[in-house]
Amino acid sequence: MGMNNPVPLDSVDDILRPGADANPLLDRGMVTTSLDALVNWARTGSMWPMTFGLACCAVEMMQAGAARYDLDRFGVIFRPSPRQSDVMIVAGTLTNKMAPAFRKVYDQMPNPRWVISMGSCANGGGYYHYAYSVTRGCDRVVPVDVYVPGCPPTAEALIYGILQLQAKVRRESTIAR
Amino acid sequence: MSEPTKAISELFASRFGERVKLGPMVGGIVSAEVEVESWLEVCRILRDEDEFGFEQLTDLCGVDYLSFGQSEWDTDDVSQEGFSRGVEGLGPGRFNWADRPEAAGVKQRFGVVVHLLSFRNNHRLRLRCFAPDEGMPIVPSLVEIWSSANWYEREAFDLFGIVFEGHPDLRRIMTDYGFTGHPFRKDFPLIGNVAVRYDPQKKRVVYEPVEIEPRVGVPRVLRDDSRYKADEVDQAAEATAGQIASDDAATGEQEDQNG
Repeated sequence: MGMNNPVPLDSVDDILRPGADANPLLDRGMVTTSLDALVNWARTGSMWPMTFGLACCAVEMMQAGAARYDLDRFGVIFRPSPRQSDVMIVAGTLTNKMAPAFRKVYDQMPNPRWVISMGSCANGGGYYHYAYSVTRGCDRVVPVDVYVPGCPPTAEALIYGILQLQAKVRRESTIAR
Repeated sequence: MSEPTKAISELFASRFGERVKLGPMVGGIVSAEVEVESWLEVCRILRDEDEFGFEQLTDLCGVDYLSFGQSEWDTDDVSQEGFSRGVEGLGPGRFNWADRPEAAGVKQRFGVVVHLLSFRNNHRLRLRCFAPDEGMPIVPSLVEIWSSANWYEREAFDLFGIVFEGHPDLRRIMTDYGFTGHPFRKDFPLIGNVAVRYDPQKKRVVYEPVEIEPRVGVPRVLRDDSRYKADEVDQAAEATAGQIASDDAATGEQEDQNG
């Protein structure tokens, strides 16, 4: 529960009902959990991304958000403002001209915040690595938590990246240090 | 490519004389070369007079003819052994900013190409004009004739450094703020001269000299896979089949003799 990544196959990944099978308190309608687990449950369940589509990867990101894959199921709701966002999905080619604005948007996001780098261009320049106008990876500008490979990555790959980020957030401890 | 029809040639010859030289038709569009001195005058006639009637400018772009016709790729015979041996690595764009070559004196290095469209006559036309001075290429601006030329000319200025005389607002349009050089010129290094990075001390994005080496992209070509062995396999199969057939025939003859 929580501390395992990946979660063991036979365990129920229910962060609010730890030890659900052998916990007598649950029969009495009571729940005990750690505050860290509760906080991480809340954070992983509502990762609102800052919409930062820069190129063709953004189309694949839209596909992940649309009816078939429906990122809403994961509590991922795209926000138009960095002030309301927890995670930034950098979907596309980051150019030198865009880099200062990109950093400014990142700086405007409240903590805690995460970054998913989506696609070859955001990961390391990709196709444009040797070009005069493209930043060779968005990790030159902001710290990146999850890199999703592909050109562009499929919508499934992006969702897998979001799940990986959730797993990473679940391992964090805010209270206990 | 084909030659324009006689009617078109005669129309242009009678109206413009020596000022416009008709070239071959490329992609079904008549191409013409215009002297830079009569650039504005010719364009105005093409827009205003009924037999031309080109109301719309659909495209304007710059061209750099430095190293035109040269290639760093020897693809005729060397590439039989793989593309990487065909690359000289000296072609346009493959050098550091510091090592960038001096532009060789090319006559008529920079050109401006426009595409015109006439709705009334259902005609298209391609015009080209060369900037006379290679160091400071200046071409009259077409903005006062076709306002759609505005951003196209800014683009050609940004990427090629062609100055359009009379343009109302000739600024860079695409490249980074404070960019140096004109990136579509053939003597501009492909990797550019600066790269960006976030500086945690200064708390802002900083520009630094580019740190990577230019690279010649070499496509990976496999020439040993099964596709190239098809002939050998076929020959072997045919030989075997022939062998079997002759064996069968020999056996049959034997059986006949026995029977």
